[in-house]
Amino acid sequence: MSALPLNLDRLLEVQQFVYREARLQDEHDYDGWEALWADDATYWVPANGDAIDPTREMSIIFDNRSRIATRVKQLKTGKRHAQAPPSRTRRVVSNVELLADDGEELLVGANFAVYESRERGLTVWAGRSTYRLRPTGDGLLMAYKKVELVDNDRAIYTLAFLI
Amino acid sequence: MDVGEVVSEFAAVALSIDHDGNGPRLRIEDLKTGHVGYLDALELETLAWLPEGALHPLLDPSLHRWRKPAAGGGTH
Amino acid sequence: MSTVDATIGWDRLIEHDRVHGSLYTDPAVYEAELERIWYRTWVFVGHVSEVPEPNDYVVKSIGPQPVIMSRDKQGEIHLLLNRCTHRANLVCDAARGNSSAFRCPYHGWTFSNTGRLLGYPFNSGYDGREAKRELGLGRVPRVEIYRGFVFGSFADDGPTLLEHLGDAREALDRLVALSPSGELDLSAGWLQHKVKANWKMLVENETDGYHPQFVHSSIFSVAKSGIGDLYGEESTALSRDLGNGHTENDLRPEFRRIDQPLGWFGTTPDRVPGYVAQLEAANGAEKARELMIDGSPHVMLFPNLFIAEIQLFVIQPLAVDETVQHVTAVQYKGSPDMNRRMLQQTIGSVGPAGFLLADDSEMYERNQRGVHARSPEWVVLKRGTHRERLDENGHVVGDATDEVPQRAIWKHYRSLMEAGS
Repeated sequence: MSALPLNLDRLLEVQQFVYREARLQDEHDYDGWEALWADDATYWVPANGDAIDPTREMSIIFDNRSRIATRVKQLKTGKRHAQAPPSRTRRVVSNVELLADDGEELLVGANFAVYESRERGLTVWAGRSTYRLRPTGDGLLMAYKKVELVDNDRAIYTLAFLI
Repeated sequence: MDVGEVVSEFAAVALSIDHDGNGPRLRIEDLKTGHVGYLDALELETLAWLPEGALHPLLDPSLHRWRKPAAGGGTH
Repeated sequence: MSTVDATIGWDRLIEHDRVHGSLYTDPAVYEAELERIWYRTWVFVGHVSEVPEPNDYVVKSIGPQPVIMSRDKQGEIHLLLNRCTHRANLVCDAARGNSSAFRCPYHGWTFSNTGRLLGYPFNSGYDGREAKRELGLGRVPRVEIYRGFVFGSFADDGPTLLEHLGDAREALDRLVALSPSGELDLSAGWLQHKVKANWKMLVENETDGYHPQFVHSSIFSVAKSGIGDLYGEESTALSRDLGNGHTENDLRPEFRRIDQPLGWFGTTPDRVPGYVAQLEAANGAEKARELMIDGSPHVMLFPNLFIAEIQLFVIQPLAVDETVQHVTAVQYKGSPDMNRRMLQQTIGSVGPAGFLLADDSEMYERNQRGVHARSPEWVVLKRGTHRERLDENGHVVGDATDEVPQRAIWKHYRSLMEAGS
């Protein structure tokens, strides 16, 4: 994919959005995180490779907007045992790149590393996120987020914090 | 995915890549009879390295097609 | 004979209604289990639909053992050990593929997908007297298939698969009966969910009717699920010992009482008209309605296949405190509208981020940490001992929340461990 003409304002806006999402996730601000999503959003964490068909094959997460809301509600009950107490997490998001801009949505890629501490010990999660961000009067909204874990074809531990 | 047809005055086969299995295979259809066979990547690589004459035993018409069924039904 | 046999004895560790905590933590127990359970009894390996075409193969496992499940050109299924007979390299690396032969990457030894050694490079380096016949891939000596489910046993002899399944075979019949085509298609891929817990924690939990209202209350409260009520004090559902360590939560009494077709799946016939029409065409309207009322089984086939209505779990022990759960969605061959719903519900429920299984897994790991505490040493499995009874087939049953299944699992476990000592 060739580089877009550099639009610094746009790139900074995108970077700030991605960093804000990371902070809301790390600090378990579930309402704040949910508010980042558009009404028709898709949140997808594939398994067994990055190029599967989620309508025919198993994914780790394949949420429409209503299921994102259920995920958040479950976390907020305080009885989601896999996140009660919540994992302590901090993540580094890097290589933020504006890949395409069709006038309606921005295609954005970024790499991440998450350090998760639970009673089990420290677990490292790494991968690449691809976003479709939609500019609105109230700023950017996530219409689509795909999280490609580097180890999504292997056995992984419980992943109940927000990735 | 259709690869194409290979035709001579003696035989005519249509080649395509078949994806019905857990990995791709070359599908070979004998256009005269409709009979279909498959070759996987390791078999095809082996064919690419066949020494001169190695196929001659397989080209014997009575090896597996035009022959009486052997006792017990096996061909080898 | 393990140290457990010599110094303690299984009868001292496993009583009718309590078991000793060391059974989950002692590496010597785990090593003995591998020999006496995982490398002896029938273990589920895979489904025929995972190798649909001639020469298809998938990489599978029996406990920690790496197994290749292949279908040869004639259609026969083989279970081969993924270990080159030369210097022990893994022969197959990819999770799946299609090939009539496997070539080891280390020195190029080449095996047919039936396990036969076809040859090796530079054969002048051998004197020609080595027996190719004896250098074929290792194989699981006994392979049997029931309803498309492929089981393997490392024991050369012993009970047949049908003897091992006993009355629990009906669970597979009931599962397949819900497919209008009479076939399952288990090709959606498996999630692999790892937990730091002993494998028996998982086996015991699968048919534990006591935990759902506690462990899963968070999702029941936000997703309007009726599952919790099935496992309540008022439920007419039964817990059952099917024999040979196989156990069941039989929810049919509740579903029959509620009398709502497809209620077991939380849906109604008008939402999946294609499936309902297919099921009626295959069975007649009356039988189809019965099938849609009774629903899919909730049965744990000892030691590693859990049929959870619309999901299949395979339990794979890797160490005394490490286990992988493989899980996929049940798909009925040729029923796209029902399959789409079963797949999406499965993705929501299970695996590392699932609404249900993430919390079960948290319990397994908490159990594993807790059981290391020195006192009181025992795990208590007394629930419902005073109200156990026999059903019309002579199986022990209890109320929905009773620990009949857990006692049944340990009874069979003890017989296997004692038989091997």
